[in-house]
Amino acid sequence: MSGPPDVPALGAPPRIAPALLRVALALIVVYGAIGAGLSWWQVVEAERLTNDPGDPLLLAAEREGRRGRIVDARGVVLAESVATGDGSWTRRYPHPEAEPILGYFSPDFGSAGLERSFAAELLGARSLAPGGDLLRKLRSDAYDPQDVQLSLDVRLQRTAVTLLKGKRGAIVAIEPASGRILALASTPTFDPNRIVDPDAGAAYFADLLDRPAEASALLDRATMGRYTPGSVLKVATAVAGLGSGAITPQTVYADQPAEERTGFLVEGFRVRDGHHPQTGRRVLDLAGAIEVSCNIWFARAGLDIGGQRFLAWGQRMGFGEAIPFDVPTAVSTLDGGDGFVDEVELANAAYGQSETFVTPLQMALVASLVAERGTLMRPHVVDELRSSDGRVRTIVPEVWRRVLDAGQAETIALAMQQAVEGRLGRRFAGAAKVPGVPTAGKSGTAELGGDREPHAWFIGFAPVEAPRIAVAVIVENGGAGGASAVPMGGELMATWLELAP
Amino acid sequence: MDPLAISLWIIRLAFLAALYAFLYLVLRALWRDLRANLRGADLSLGRLRVVASPDGIPPEGSAFALDAINTLGRDVNNTVVVDDPFASGRHAALTYRGRSWYLEDLGSTNGTWLNGERVVAPTLLGWGDEVQVGRVRLRLDRPDLPPATR
Amino acid sequence: MSGLAGTADRRRPRFRRREALLLGGVSGAVACGWVSLASTVAGGPSLGDPSLLLAFLGLLAAAHVVLSLAGSRSDEVLLPVAGLLMGLSLLMMVRLPQGLVVQDFGPLELGLAPLQLVWIGLSLTAATVVAVVLRSDLWLRSYKYTWAAAGIALLLLVFIFGEETNGARLTLRVGPFAGQPSELLKILLVIFLAGYLADNRALLAARATRLGPLRLPPLPYLLPMLAMWGIALAIVVVQRDLGAALLFYAVFLVLLWVATQRLGDLALGAFLFVVGAVVLYALFPHVRERVEIWLDPFATAQGAGFQVVRGLYALGRGGVLGTGLGAGLPGVDGHPSIPAVHTDFVFDALAEELGLAGALVILALYVILAERGLRIASAARDDFRGLLAAGVTLVVVVQAAIIVAGDARLIPLTGITLPFVSYGGSSLLANGIALGLLLSLGDTRLTAPPPPQAIGRRERWRDAAGAVAGRVERVIS
Repeated sequence: MSGPPDVPALGAPPRIAPALLRVALALIVVYGAIGAGLSWWQVVEAERLTNDPGDPLLLAAEREGRRGRIVDARGVVLAESVATGDGSWTRRYPHPEAEPILGYFSPDFGSAGLERSFAAELLGARSLAPGGDLLRKLRSDAYDPQDVQLSLDVRLQRTAVTLLKGKRGAIVAIEPASGRILALASTPTFDPNRIVDPDAGAAYFADLLDRPAEASALLDRATMGRYTPGSVLKVATAVAGLGSGAITPQTVYADQPAEERTGFLVEGFRVRDGHHPQTGRRVLDLAGAIEVSCNIWFARAGLDIGGQRFLAWGQRMGFGEAIPFDVPTAVSTLDGGDGFVDEVELANAAYGQSETFVTPLQMALVASLVAERGTLMRPHVVDELRSSDGRVRTIVPEVWRRVLDAGQAETIALAMQQAVEGRLGRRFAGAAKVPGVPTAGKSGTAELGGDREPHAWFIGFAPVEAPRIAVAVIVENGGAGGASAVPMGGELMATWLELAP
Repeated sequence: MDPLAISLWIIRLAFLAALYAFLYLVLRALWRDLRANLRGADLSLGRLRVVASPDGIPPEGSAFALDAINTLGRDVNNTVVVDDPFASGRHAALTYRGRSWYLEDLGSTNGTWLNGERVVAPTLLGWGDEVQVGRVRLRLDRPDLPPATR
Repeated sequence: MSGLAGTADRRRPRFRRREALLLGGVSGAVACGWVSLASTVAGGPSLGDPSLLLAFLGLLAAAHVVLSLAGSRSDEVLLPVAGLLMGLSLLMMVRLPQGLVVQDFGPLELGLAPLQLVWIGLSLTAATVVAVVLRSDLWLRSYKYTWAAAGIALLLLVFIFGEETNGARLTLRVGPFAGQPSELLKILLVIFLAGYLADNRALLAARATRLGPLRLPPLPYLLPMLAMWGIALAIVVVQRDLGAALLFYAVFLVLLWVATQRLGDLALGAFLFVVGAVVLYALFPHVRERVEIWLDPFATAQGAGFQVVRGLYALGRGGVLGTGLGAGLPGVDGHPSIPAVHTDFVFDALAEELGLAGALVILALYVILAERGLRIASAARDDFRGLLAAGVTLVVVVQAAIIVAGDARLIPLTGITLPFVSYGGSSLLANGIALGLLLSLGDTRLTAPPPPQAIGRRERWRDAAGAVAGRVERVIS
């Protein structure tokens, strides 16, 4: 047999049949994996996909369908669809002060706020009936637009917006016992009716987009704005300190009175106290430090708590993650997101400077958890979903975190009451007191560095026993806390206690 | 509940059911084939065992299951490929007719030999007989199981 | 001599019972689908216009009859399975807007569904012709280099004269006909590969060359093969047809391993694949883009990622039982919400309307094709047939896996068609030929050897043609 020369002796090559069997098995494995992947999309992720606002099905239906109404806690209509006469619908917003949390829905400019996050329910793509989607496909009318009832009270909301008029800032008012949001305002704001207006909408929207970011009217500062908190963060530090056991209500720092003159030296950095020479040689305890807002005390307390524990307790209060809410929220941080690089940062963070950035919603939650004596309820602004056939789905208040025990929280609550009503405290936060009602709170002046005016903050709740409202107010570049934010907080709480005795 | 919508649904489900019914039919057929394979049934009519193969193709000692018509030769399209320089491309044929085996030469250069005698016309052979193609000798053996009657 | 010529030469028609039964099942299922689609469109139980359905069933029946008359004893499951896939394809094409593809044949203007029926007819014709006529695979095997060269020449033609669609130059237009030669190329190259590997199996499995610590087959044998493949892959990659490149490489690797059964080959191939992928990623922006879209399509949901995202929405909408034929695929501005829904994303469309239940059936059909094809390969009489059958099977089944996995975002999306289901004449034709090859290779009928004496004129012509082709072959190799 002729063949190529110098070829070594060969045995017969192995039969291919066994190899083919292995190939077959490999193919079965590959197809099995594909089947599993498909199941992932078609079963596990199906609901999320069908209700994604980007889904063309939703987009298509949204153009033609009547959306449900959005109403406030007392049934006042905040958003509804009106027929235009040529077969389509347009949105109408009788109370633009409910912006920006209410959002808008426009076929041309998309959606925002609650109009966006509850698009599936408003449209009725997501049904309330049991076995929901399965049965929906059996009905000839595929969509079941639901009405959304909010916990917002438009009267309180209007007050909040009026208080903030002309300024840039945000107000969040929450009911501590249930987590229901009573008001959520952010200024400057916009008029959604002008956005959905077919004639002037484009120009108005373009103008809104044109504004520089810091002056944006579309930004919901209450949930997405991140600000240096200043002294209002001391409440959170107190929570972390008591919770972790690093400090007690009786904790004092012997050097603190002296350091109020000289400053507290931390690794070469001098922590100074800005506003209160009144305590003289008095050594402050927790309540005292809160009442006069002592930076030195809190800086030392922060160091005692330590970076790790501070972050851990921050997380329990909602820092470090986007707070689960009905509209998107930004993440509040104690450390800028990259950990405490040194003791200096930790010390400064403990009294609300350095790289602490908080949203007004987060600070409202801090106030709320103290008000509710250590229990943090999940914040929500949607109370009920109602379908046209009478089916109702109620969003039940839910405990989100249990942060402190009642005794510890009580200490802080009383301290905050002193901050508003005490002899020394009332100089800063006295304007927040609701006449005739024990009020608790904390003012804050967040230094921004350079020659920018500091942010003015206030958090508080009333009445001190069985609080019915907790608020967080920020006025951007509002100067000292007492000047602007504090009186707003007080008036807001007073309004609410009148509206809902 | 809309009766029209329900009827549409039933039709849809019927379609899916029909798809699965087909799948079932196919899988049943596949399963039968698989079982037949696993039983290792040698449903052939006979086996041809390689007694001597100087060049090793086909390997000595191997056995081939036989069909009703089998061709032997050097060409790769033969039933039994005999790669011997003295074998022609299409050398011989082994056929099963009625209930007997016949060997015939297909006009090979060097002839086909049965038990040492040259084969000219289709010749009857039995179990144990030796066929020689070129220098390769093969023996006709019984199958492992009796062949199914065709 | 008389006896042999008498029994073996004539192939008696044979009733392919199992195939008939399964085709009955296919007809039933497709008819049910037809009713479902027509009913959904009409809003109530309806039959619609059954002419296309009957034409399709007629084609299937004709193929079955031809195979039966020819006495083919090959696998009886392949045709029904391919037939069901084609039936689902037809249903989907009927369901989609007919304006997606329009072609004029003189005075006749055909929309999407009738065109697909034409291609299905072409495919079935090719399959039956190949199954019945292809008896001796000698000519396939002997001229493997010629086949490969023809394939590459075809590819070069496309590269130079081809049209671009979506940034990939895949189509060749001759007059009113446009085709995608890469589909046919895959068949040609598999033929080449099977022939080459079968001839040189032993040598390839031997370790005669040492390249450092690696032990490779003798270089003179490995190089031509690698060169052929490398050329094909390079052209395909330059044409931006990533799917075909992946397919070729995968099939090449598997066949090589089947032939030599050295795990080292597989490992080396995998390593080369990784290296190649990294290089491609680094050098070509369109590769990077594909990978980025794969990793997070929602990030560019309005931009580059929108195809995949729309496909995923379709999958989600389908759920387990689907939306029903004709009821899904919401339109956006008049077009179906999924782009390329009749070609690249036809699987997603089917998955939406038939649900996970239906999608799993389709996957199962390809697995069954794989099983039957590989069974034919393992029962094959010699290495060439076995490797050819295996290669042809792989080329169909692996292609399906690649596109379905891409549609479901398991691997980056590539623009190849779903065999037997996607719209496309070239695709259906190539897969029809593949089907025919499998039927032919699996045919256990025996051919009588031609009588050695009379060398008629026809044989003389054949010998002459063979001599010419042989010379071409020798020149190339």
